[in-house]
Amino acid sequence: MTFRFVVGKVLGALATLAFVVVFNFFLFRVVETNPVATLYRGRNLTDSQREELTRQFGLDGSKLEQFGRYLEQTLQLNLGRSYATNQPVIDEIWAAAPQTIALVGVATVLSMVLGILMGISAGWRRGTNQDRALTSSSIVTWSTPDFWLGMILLTLFAVRLGLFPTGGISDPSASDSGLGKLLDQLWHMTLPCVTLAIAYLGEFALVMRSSIVDVMREDYLTLARAKGLRDSQVRDRHAVRNALLPSTALIAINFGFVLSGAIAVETVFSWPGLGLLTYEALRGPDLPMLQGLFLVFSAAVIVFNLLADLVYPYLDPRVRYQ
Amino acid sequence: MKLVKLLVAAALVVLVALGVSAVATAQSDDEKVVLTVGLTQDLDTPNVTAGELVSSYELYNLQYAAPTDLAADDFAITPGLAESWSSEDGRKWTYTLREGLQWSDGTPLTAEDIAYTINRSRDEEWLNYTSTVANLEAEAPDARTLIVTSKVNDPKLPGLSLYVVPKHVWEKIPADDISNYPAVEGVGSGPFTLSEWKKGQFWRMEANPNYWRGQVAIDEVVFRVFRNADAMVAALRSGEIDAAHAVPEAAFPQLQTEEGIVAVAGEQGGFDYLVLNSYADNPSRDTDAFDAPHPALTDLKFRQAIAHAIDKETLVERVLEGIGTPGTTMSPSANPAWIPELTADQDYEFDLAKANQILDDAGYTDSDGNGIREYEGEDIVLRYAIRTESKNSKPYAEFITGWLKEIGIDSTFSSYDDGQLIEVAGKGDFDLYVWGWTPFVDPDPMLSYFQCSQVSVDKSDFSNYYNDSGICDEEYDKLYGEQNTELDLEKRQELVHEMLTRFYTSAGYIVTATSPDLQAYRTDRFAGWVKQPAETGPVLFSNTSPSYWNLTPTASTSDGGGLSTAGIVAIVVAGAIGVALVGWFFVRRRSAEERE
Repeated sequence: MTFRFVVGKVLGALATLAFVVVFNFFLFRVVETNPVATLYRGRNLTDSQREELTRQFGLDGSKLEQFGRYLEQTLQLNLGRSYATNQPVIDEIWAAAPQTIALVGVATVLSMVLGILMGISAGWRRGTNQDRALTSSSIVTWSTPDFWLGMILLTLFAVRLGLFPTGGISDPSASDSGLGKLLDQLWHMTLPCVTLAIAYLGEFALVMRSSIVDVMREDYLTLARAKGLRDSQVRDRHAVRNALLPSTALIAINFGFVLSGAIAVETVFSWPGLGLLTYEALRGPDLPMLQGLFLVFSAAVIVFNLLADLVYPYLDPRVRYQ
Repeated sequence: MKLVKLLVAAALVVLVALGVSAVATAQSDDEKVVLTVGLTQDLDTPNVTAGELVSSYELYNLQYAAPTDLAADDFAITPGLAESWSSEDGRKWTYTLREGLQWSDGTPLTAEDIAYTINRSRDEEWLNYTSTVANLEAEAPDARTLIVTSKVNDPKLPGLSLYVVPKHVWEKIPADDISNYPAVEGVGSGPFTLSEWKKGQFWRMEANPNYWRGQVAIDEVVFRVFRNADAMVAALRSGEIDAAHAVPEAAFPQLQTEEGIVAVAGEQGGFDYLVLNSYADNPSRDTDAFDAPHPALTDLKFRQAIAHAIDKETLVERVLEGIGTPGTTMSPSANPAWIPELTADQDYEFDLAKANQILDDAGYTDSDGNGIREYEGEDIVLRYAIRTESKNSKPYAEFITGWLKEIGIDSTFSSYDDGQLIEVAGKGDFDLYVWGWTPFVDPDPMLSYFQCSQVSVDKSDFSNYYNDSGICDEEYDKLYGEQNTELDLEKRQELVHEMLTRFYTSAGYIVTATSPDLQAYRTDRFAGWVKQPAETGPVLFSNTSPSYWNLTPTASTSDGGGLSTAGIVAIVVAGAIGVALVGWFFVRRRSAEERE
């Protein structure tokens, strides 16, 4: 991998990011609306109050002036102030991000591990009942809407059986520090995490299965067998290693979506992360918040795609870029 | 194989963590009496000068006592921080404060705090204060004496429904920063003050030891935010929360029948209305920039026919699932005393035959026999705007346009979100839609929306107007000016009744139904829930929120909070299954290796 290749990829990513920054501004202004009027309907504001709010919301001046201000602020990592709370958007995103990373990160790791194991198992014994069972259940979980699955789990385990809380991240009456707090949060995380893990599982399983099936036809497996290796050695040392490559790309892309991946599930379980922040901002609509969130979400996807691009040639010597 | 082992180990760790998570969660409660209220909306800000959500007003109601309170039953003015008041001319009022008032942090609360709040909020035009303080001037000759002078006759006086802020905290915040001030310091004078706010999760308020009514029976109120209203109802059923606000309509009828739960449809004057765009070139406006209604709508007879074609009972039954009551006149206040009784000849009862008769008599006939009446030779087709942000908007439209069809009026539909609809309304680019209002206690703001001056005329900003029917009635404006300065309550009520009756008969604003707040509470832990106003009002999120200081615990106050034994067992079992799954994978591998 050459220096030129790396620079090219990084520049490409930066160009994408720049496009997102510009596009972001216009995306949320396609529909002409006046948030001051919407948020303060029926409040009989005085003219000076309306002007002050318009100024605070950054809606004074022409579109071009607003765009200039937006670019300048964004480059300084200032994403503006939320219409709803008057607090800096970047602070609100910063405060909500750890919850989302914890929830979606754990769910992604869980589904990745279980999904890949399922895929290996199904692919290696393709055509058997086990394969059919694993593949069809993967297709079912992959196509199940995650918010619907979440509602089912919530109804069953939180409402009917009362085993888990109905939402939130912590019990206001629970202890405020140390292990107790951590465990309380994990307890609250169980249902949303399981929901997401099940929802993501199928994709990993299916991709892994098909790549195992692909490599099984390869000559080097026949050779490995001819050398007298045991079936499990052939699978683990020769088949799985090569078949993992497509999954690696998938994993990288999935981590890009960790930040934005759980809008519906976070809403179902009142999980105070970035997804919930998005849902709230959409209801406003809280334009600076939405702009900030979309920027952060896009940046995450771009960064992880870049990482995947850069790491892939190391993993797969066949993919050497010129 | 290293990678797979690593992944398996990672999964194992996660599963065990999730499994173990149960064990220590059951933290024992101390003996605190905690009321937990579920709601679907977080605070926007604890800053009383900037917040504008219902959830935030509940916080302000609890944290800040007012100089005068409002009675739970009928909103009569009652003593608050002030124990008495007097005036010679109705403009200059002298209030005497209670003895020994203190803020929750122990600082003395004096007349200077109140004067400071009034004068500064007026000068800086704080959002939640302007309507109360715009014409007031306050001074504090001594710690217990407050003198408030109004520039005009103000019928709201001697009532001072005002969130008094602690001067010693707020004087440090300059005017430019005031709307950004986070205000989490929790210094107040009401029954509870903010002690913790976890954004998106809950906020906690502790009893104020210095509350002027004396310390209340509850130690702490926790407001838990649910983004999933069905989960909130489930939490109420399971006892995780004691009360819930904004219960979904679909769950409400079921809660009404449940033992141990009281469901309350609390009326606070909120209503849904069908507006007919009736703008008839008065006041005049730029016809290029503005749109005009269908010309037939400017004819009172035509509007009256439509008013007779709206079956409010059916709308309540079928659209609102029986929640709410059929509307009469516009409702300007949370207090139903402001609504007049309509006589039989004023009321537009549902009668399609009568509606058809009125249209026939007025000359709107269907000459080509296609079922649609004509205006100047063209079929009458009205533009109906649907609000995408209200789930009732479409069913409303289906019923209403169905009845219009039966009296020979056709409709077309467009959909808008609220931001767009405000523009569309200001521009006059519609014929009819259904929206809603929630009034304050004093009728003045709602009444002000329907003056001629509130008909949209400014083409540079369509959104600054509320008179969406576009009806300009000079007599209404004259009465508005009179009630605005009438200090005699009975006379003022008569004036308001007359205004509302005029407004009703002009048939541009057809109030379809009241829109109550749906709430529910458990009966096993607290008693003493107070409805404001009496009989019909809500128990929480009312105008001055009297329930909180009136509640007393009934039985055991510690609710365990954490996890049941069954829960612990289940989670441990789930964890064990996870571990077993991973183990199974290894064992299978090994046995497979042995086989080969």
